[in-house]
Amino acid sequence: MVKLTIDEREITVEEGATILDAAKLAGIKIPTLCYHKRLNPIGSCRMCVVEIEGLPNPMTACTTPVAEGIKVVTNSERLQRMRRETLKLMLVNHPLDCPVCDKGGECSLQDLVYEFEIETAEYRAEKKEREAIYATPLIRYWPDRCIMCLRCVAACRDIKALGAIDIVGSGFGAGISPVNKEKCESCGECIKVCPTGALTENLSRYKGRTWMVNRVKTTCAYCGCGCQLELNVMNNRVIGITTKDDDEVNRGSLCVKGRFGYEFIGSEERLTKPLIKRDGKFHEAAWDEALDLVAERLTAIKTAAGSDAIAGLSSARCTNEENYLMQKFLRAVIGTNNIDHCARL
Amino acid sequence: MTDVFFSSWGGEIVDNRGKEPENYEKIKGIALPSQFAGKEDIRALIGWYGIVLRSRDVNIVDLCRAYITAVQSESCGKCFTCRVGTMVLADTLTKICRGNGDEGDIDALVRVAEVIREGSKCNLGQTGPIPLLDAVKLFAEDFKRAVQDKKPILEGNYHYKLTAPCMDACPIHLDIPRYVESIKEGKFEESLNTIVEKLPLPGVVGRVCVRPCEMHCRRTILDEPISIKYLKRFVADDNLKKKKKVSFKQTPSEKTGKVAIIGAGPAGLACAYHLALKGHTVTIYERFGEPGGMAAMGIPDYRLPRNILGFEVEQIQKMGVAIKYNTVVGKDIKLSDIEKESEAIFIGIGAQASTAMGVEGEDKGYGGFIPGIEYLQKINVGVDPYPEGKKVVVVGGGNVAIDCVRSSFRIGKEDVNLVYRRTKREMPADHVEIKDAEEENVTFHYLTNPKKILTREGMVIGVECIRMELGEPDESGRRRPVPVEGSEFVIDCDILVPAIGQAIDLGLLEGKSGDNVKTTRKSTLVVDEFTMQTSNPRIFSAGDCVTGPSALINACAGGKRAAVNIDCFINGKRLEATDDDYFDRLFNDVKVFDPREKIGFLGGRKMLHLPMLPPEERKQTFAEVEKGYHFLEAKAEADRCLRCYRVGMIAV
Ligand SMILES: Cc1cc2nc3c(=O)[nH]c(=O)nc-3n(C[C@H](O)[C@H](O)[C@H](O)COP(=O)(O)OP(=O)(O)OC[C@H]3O[C@@H](n4cnc5c(N)ncnc54)[C@H](O)[C@@H]3O)c2cc1C
Ligand code: SF4
Ligand code: SF4
Ligand code: SF4
Repeated sequence: MVKLTIDEREITVEEGATILDAAKLAGIKIPTLCYHKRLNPIGSCRMCVVEIEGLPNPMTACTTPVAEGIKVVTNSERLQRMRRETLKLMLVNHPLDCPVCDKGGECSLQDLVYEFEIETAEYRAEKKEREAIYATPLIRYWPDRCIMCLRCVAACRDIKALGAIDIVGSGFGAGISPVNKEKCESCGECIKVCPTGALTENLSRYKGRTWMVNRVKTTCAYCGCGCQLELNVMNNRVIGITTKDDDEVNRGSLCVKGRFGYEFIGSEERLTKPLIKRDGKFHEAAWDEALDLVAERLTAIKTAAGSDAIAGLSSARCTNEENYLMQKFLRAVIGTNNIDHCARL
Repeated sequence: MTDVFFSSWGGEIVDNRGKEPENYEKIKGIALPSQFAGKEDIRALIGWYGIVLRSRDVNIVDLCRAYITAVQSESCGKCFTCRVGTMVLADTLTKICRGNGDEGDIDALVRVAEVIREGSKCNLGQTGPIPLLDAVKLFAEDFKRAVQDKKPILEGNYHYKLTAPCMDACPIHLDIPRYVESIKEGKFEESLNTIVEKLPLPGVVGRVCVRPCEMHCRRTILDEPISIKYLKRFVADDNLKKKKKVSFKQTPSEKTGKVAIIGAGPAGLACAYHLALKGHTVTIYERFGEPGGMAAMGIPDYRLPRNILGFEVEQIQKMGVAIKYNTVVGKDIKLSDIEKESEAIFIGIGAQASTAMGVEGEDKGYGGFIPGIEYLQKINVGVDPYPEGKKVVVVGGGNVAIDCVRSSFRIGKEDVNLVYRRTKREMPADHVEIKDAEEENVTFHYLTNPKKILTREGMVIGVECIRMELGEPDESGRRRPVPVEGSEFVIDCDILVPAIGQAIDLGLLEGKSGDNVKTTRKSTLVVDEFTMQTSNPRIFSAGDCVTGPSALINACAGGKRAAVNIDCFINGKRLEATDDDYFDRLFNDVKVFDPREKIGFLGGRKMLHLPMLPPEERKQTFAEVEKGYHFLEAKAEADRCLRCYRVGMIAV
């Protein structure tokens, strides 16, 4: 264990912890932007600078491991000036287009600019065009909005172990680029961690602002893993999926299906009425008529050939409860163990 | 006398403005050469440590503009302050230089420069604004005038180079900060690619390099250097483990030709590799039955396993390089015959003979008297050089001597001694190696010198030695050992191994009427230091046969340099030093690494040392003593790097 002081408070933490970890433990807030708890510290944003007594240079709290006896100051005139200047630099290429940005309302940059009361983009530099190409058509990259925090790159590499995207170019012209496009699984891990609106979902652009949607927690229905997600619902339609870092099972990660495969819910092509096949063609029917027919046929088959002549195949698109009822129906009502599920195939 | 009228280098301000040249105060801590590339006058220097001005015609605002623009173009883009900040600075300075400056610009310059200096992630950003801040403060009038006059300033002529202390110290100038950072980011393949752009033997050098880089690592000031060597080994091993093909970028030159290489040592292999990258047809003639030179036949397997070298040579062969083994040039084939068939020749024959000790009886061919190089070469091909012997005395204080003693245990010798005429402090061998030998229980006899070989029936039975004491320092700066009269004593032994030096066997050269390659009195080949060309324009040379016994990385650097120039030669281009070479020289004067620098960061994160086999176990076998890093260890070690990139620029 290591003992240190942060803002005059004594803290004991495990060896190897960073100053940021220690501050968190003590409930001291240090501003961050590129830091993300699921990623190895990146150190690109320089917002978490702190002073250590006796050392002339500020250091970033997220990348500096604690050391015995150090005295850390997280807030001073100099540190606040540095943070403000850094934020002002960020606004050199980031447009203040929050009114048309999908991330508006839950953007870390917006929050910080607000917190530090930065009213204008004071500094200027000649714009360098950066290419807006991306690894997957499901995601749109907005180079102007990208502040190069590199969270997306770290997520793709550290969480997904894919490395589909990376920083390309140098200096002000550097951008995010699909360096290994073929490796991209369209999982959207990058979009999940992007603190700004630089990565947006191509399916749901301009469908609704963050504060207009109702987030409904549910379990992903695509496979048996049980990933937790939130349906973003507006006017009784799902317009997007979000996840939370603290959720058990997937801790915010999803695969391409869970993250982007939600449009079927409101699809025009979905069946909303039962169909009965007559003379090789499907005809719409009333629920009573359809259910009567099923009951009648199942009873007939059971009487003629026994329970085991019937089998049930359930669906992964259904909830656990629905699947439970299905197997109960086959076992208790029909009397067979012939029950299976598409996710097992 | 000095002709420098202003310097802020290293924070020490010397301001001779308004003084007559004869009254100029001298600047300390930096020697600014007067010329660059032997033809251009150096009018000013601007870099990570400040500004040095020699000519009063240099416009300070334009100098800053050019410099900051260079810093911006080298910025990696991985932190906000440097990526955006230096762009804001560069654009603002450009605006001022075009005559469009505004009142507020200078204030903004200072504010932004400050936050870049204090807040940037790596040393490029931390050092980039330093000279600008110096200039704005100490040349305030010039900046004010530039803004007020609103007249365009004529652009000056500048050259710059990106460097880092480690990179500058590495003889082949590997981009160390870059390959280390790739490891930190888990991009091991990319890291290896950065290395093999220059060095084809990463696994070999990653094990046995003498690591000048680490001795110039800036992190040493905080705690300990980065383990640059073992990180190199890590990426090479990782690649070997994954059995991936290293992707070499072969880009054939316009004209390609046939090149013969004599000697498959590190110099020859590096030369072959770089020629193959340029599409030339390369044939290597090698005396022994296997490649690697001293890396294979000298350095023992417990330090450098054979399969590592083998794999890396195989990669070179896969690029089309042919090796003719068991062919001694000068005996089996004449150099002049090879010359007829090739457009250029590279000689990399190393220093393969042992130097005589000047001790009575060493030329008599006694049984049990075996020169160090021969001793190791035999052991390296799996032969006990003298099975009759059990008690060994090795004479010498270098790495070869240490390799001889440590190998002796491993071929079953029981009593192993080392005799050295100075003390442990003066020993040229790597201190880590000495420590390892001590742990393995070698008996060290310091301040001892052999005088006479004692024999019975033509076989060694002992060595008569004399005690020494240290006298006045000699030309090497080390105190000269002088014999203590009457202090003779005998050490019993049946094997005596002199390992006091290596000599070069020039038997392949044919003299004035033949190749006409000039040599020195020390039997080294004379070459141009930049192009590696000998006195015969078609023959190039590098490695131990040019430098005298040295280190692997120097041989590789020389081989690469020769290859670049052979390629120019075949393409009819002029052979000359490049700007990079001149910058190396300049940096040598200016000093990229300052051990007295005060780094205002938190230290205390020591180097992660490799786990080793215990001494009693390891001395029985030739199995590799040191185990490599686990990938998490490698990432943690890489994370210690301070990324000390910096830009040096001169006005000419
Ligand atoms: C025991 C020992 C330990 C060492 N340990 C280290 C170490 O830990 N770290 C380090 O950096 N350096 C070490 N060195 C030094 C390093 O090995 C040499 O500096 C390096 O190998 C020099 O490379 P080279 O290609 O110039 O010559 P060499 O490696 O000597 O290769 C020359 C090659 O030319 C061949 N050759 C010679 N004459 C002829 C001919 N006439 N015809 C055909 N072929 C010929 C030889 O057989 C040999 O293969 C060590 C050296 C020795 C002897
Ligand atoms: S969608 Fe997934 S795989 Fe593709 S770039 Fe983003 S994180 Fe990487
Ligand atoms: S796309 Fe988003 S996560 Fe990636 S670097 Fe830009 S702002 Fe950061
Ligand atoms: S800390 Fe890193 S960049 Fe700096 S000198 Fe050492 S290895 Fe090189």
